[in-house]
Amino acid sequence: MNAKRLFLSSLLIGLLVASAAGCAKKTTDAMPAAPTKVEISDKDGDWQNNKAPESRSLSEDEMRAAQRAEAQQAVGNMIFFAFDSFELTPESRTVLTSKADVLKKYSLFNIIIEGNCDERGTSEYNLALGERRAKVAQQFLSQLGIADSRMTIVSYGKERPLEQGHDEAVWSKNRRDEFKIQN
Amino acid sequence: MKLKTWILTCLLVLVFAPSAHAGDTLSVDIFGPGQSKVNILVLPARGPNGSGTSALGTSFSNHVQSDIGYLPFLRLAYMNEILGGDPSKGLKADDIDFKPLQLGRIDLIMTVGARGQDIEARVYETYTRKLLVGKAYSQVDEAGVPLVADRFCAQLMRVLTGKSGFFDSTLAFSKRVDGGKELFTASALGRGLSQITRDGGYNVSPSWSKDGRHIAYTNISDKGHRLGVWDRASRISRLRKYPGNVAISPTYTPDGRIAVALSLNGHADIYMLDAAMNPSAQAMAPSWGISVSPSFDLSGRKMVFCSGRLGGPQIFMLNRDTGAVERITYEGTYNTRPSLSPDGRFVVFARLTSDGQRIFIRDLVANQERQISFGPGNDEDPSFDPDGYFVSFASSRNGGTKIFVTTRYGDPAKQIPTGPGDAMAPAWGVAPALQ
Repeated sequence: MNAKRLFLSSLLIGLLVASAAGCAKKTTDAMPAAPTKVEISDKDGDWQNNKAPESRSLSEDEMRAAQRAEAQQAVGNMIFFAFDSFELTPESRTVLTSKADVLKKYSLFNIIIEGNCDERGTSEYNLALGERRAKVAQQFLSQLGIADSRMTIVSYGKERPLEQGHDEAVWSKNRRDEFKIQN
Repeated sequence: MKLKTWILTCLLVLVFAPSAHAGDTLSVDIFGPGQSKVNILVLPARGPNGSGTSALGTSFSNHVQSDIGYLPFLRLAYMNEILGGDPSKGLKADDIDFKPLQLGRIDLIMTVGARGQDIEARVYETYTRKLLVGKAYSQVDEAGVPLVADRFCAQLMRVLTGKSGFFDSTLAFSKRVDGGKELFTASALGRGLSQITRDGGYNVSPSWSKDGRHIAYTNISDKGHRLGVWDRASRISRLRKYPGNVAISPTYTPDGRIAVALSLNGHADIYMLDAAMNPSAQAMAPSWGISVSPSFDLSGRKMVFCSGRLGGPQIFMLNRDTGAVERITYEGTYNTRPSLSPDGRFVVFARLTSDGQRIFIRDLVANQERQISFGPGNDEDPSFDPDGYFVSFASSRNGGTKIFVTTRYGDPAKQIPTGPGDAMAPAWGVAPALQ
C-alpha cells in the first residue's frame, strides 16, 4: 500500500510539475504578445546590428578592392626586352626591385606574370620566348624574397600585342612582361 | 616464207602501233624537276542531248575551272586559242574535232553536259583522243555543285599525277573570334567551313592525327597553357594542364602519339607523351635552349624542330634511331616553324628576312635551299600537304592574316577562302571536311 501511495503521490507530483511547466511555457509563449513594441524595437536593433556588420564587410571588400587597385597600380609597371632576348636590362631590374617591395607590402596578393613578344617571330617560338621572359622576372623576384607560389606565369607569345603596328617603336613596346594581381 | 613472216610482222606493227601510242597516257610528274604545264580547255557546258545550255552544267564547269586554278601544273586555255572556235558538237570523242585542239597545243579537253539534276563530265587527251576521266553525277542540286566539282577534280588530279591529297584533305586552322582564337576546319578549297572549338582564350597550333580522328592544339588563357585534344566523333575538346608553364606546338606522330614542348626544366623542350598522355622522363634532343615545333616524316623516325640551342632559333633534325641531332639551317639568324615532307626529303620553314618572314624550302638530299613565298607582309606557319607537294602558310600580304597555298616549287600562292577574320596556322589532315 505504502508503495502504491508513494507511486500515486509521485505521479501527482510529476503531473503538477508537468502542468506547471506547461503553464510556464504558455506564459513564455504569451510573453511576446505583451512586449510587442520591445520586440519590434529589438528587431529594429537587430536590423541596425545586422546592417552594421554588413557595412563593415562591404568596407572590407572596398578596402580590399582599393588595396588591390593600389597593388595593381604599384606592380603594373611593365618591363621590356630586346628582340629575341629574355635578358633583364638595368631598368627592368630597378622596376622589379620596386615590385618586390610592393609585393612584400601587399602580401595578401598573388601575381600573374605575362610574357609577350612582338609580331616578328613566329607564333610557337614566341610562346616559348614569352615564357622565358616571364620566368626571368619570376626568378629575379624570387631572389628578392617573393615566394614562387605567389607568382603564376602565362606566356601569350605574340597573341596580345599592346600596340598595333609594324615598326620598331611598336615592336619594342610589345616585347614585354605584364604584371597583374591575381586574387 | 621469211619474206612472208617479215611482211606479216610489219603489218602487225602497223596495226598495233596506234593503240600502243594510245596506251601511253599523259601523266604529270608533279615531283619532277622543271615542272611542265598541261593545257586544258573546258568547253561550254551543254544541255540535254548535247544541245543548248544548262545553268547547273555551267555552274559545275565554273567550279571545276576555279578548282583547276589551284593546280599549278594545269593551265586553263581559252576558246580564242582554238582555230574556228568550239570544236565540238556534243560531249563524246566522236563529237569533237581534235585537230584544231592539237594545233592549238591543247593537251586536255573537258566536256560538261547536264540534264535536270544529272551532270556528265569527261576529260579527253587531245593527242590520243583517249578518255582520261569520265564521271556522271545524279541528283545534284546547286548547293552540292562545288563538292561534286571538287570530287571530279580530285579524280582528274589522281589520274594525272597519282596523288589527290589536296582535294581529299581537310585543313584545321586558328581563326580570330571575339578577341580570342578558336579552331576551324575547311577543305583545302575552303568548303565546309566549321568552327570546332569554343574554349575561350587563344587556341593555336592545331595538328591532325594521321587517322583524321583528332586534333591536338594549345589553349592559352589566364589559366596558362593547356593541351587540347578535339575528338571528331564526339566533336568534344578536352583540355589538360601540364607541369611547368607551357604546352606548345603539340604534334601527332604517324603512330598516334603527341610530341609537345613542355617547360619541365625551366624552358620549353620537346617531350613525347605516352598513351596515357603523360610526358616521357627525358626530353627529345634536350638542350639548355628553347626547342619547339616538332614535325615528323611518315616513318616517324625523323623529327625536325626549331631550337635556340646555339643562340638564335634555327632548324635541327633528330634521328630518333640514333639520337643524332643535325643542324639544318645555316643561312639567316631566325629560322622557325619547320614542316617535314612525308618522305623526309624536304623541310619548309619560316625565315626572318629584311622584308619580313618568308617561307623557304631545303632539299636535304641535294643540300639546296630556295625561297618559295615572296610576301609582302609576313609569311609563316608553312605546312606540307599529305603528298608533300602543296605547302600551306599564313600570310599578311593582303592586310589581315589569311591562309594561302603554294607548292614546293614556289608557284604563285592562292588564297584559301576562310571567311571574314584573320586565319592562321593551317594544318593538313587526311579527313573529309565536316558537313
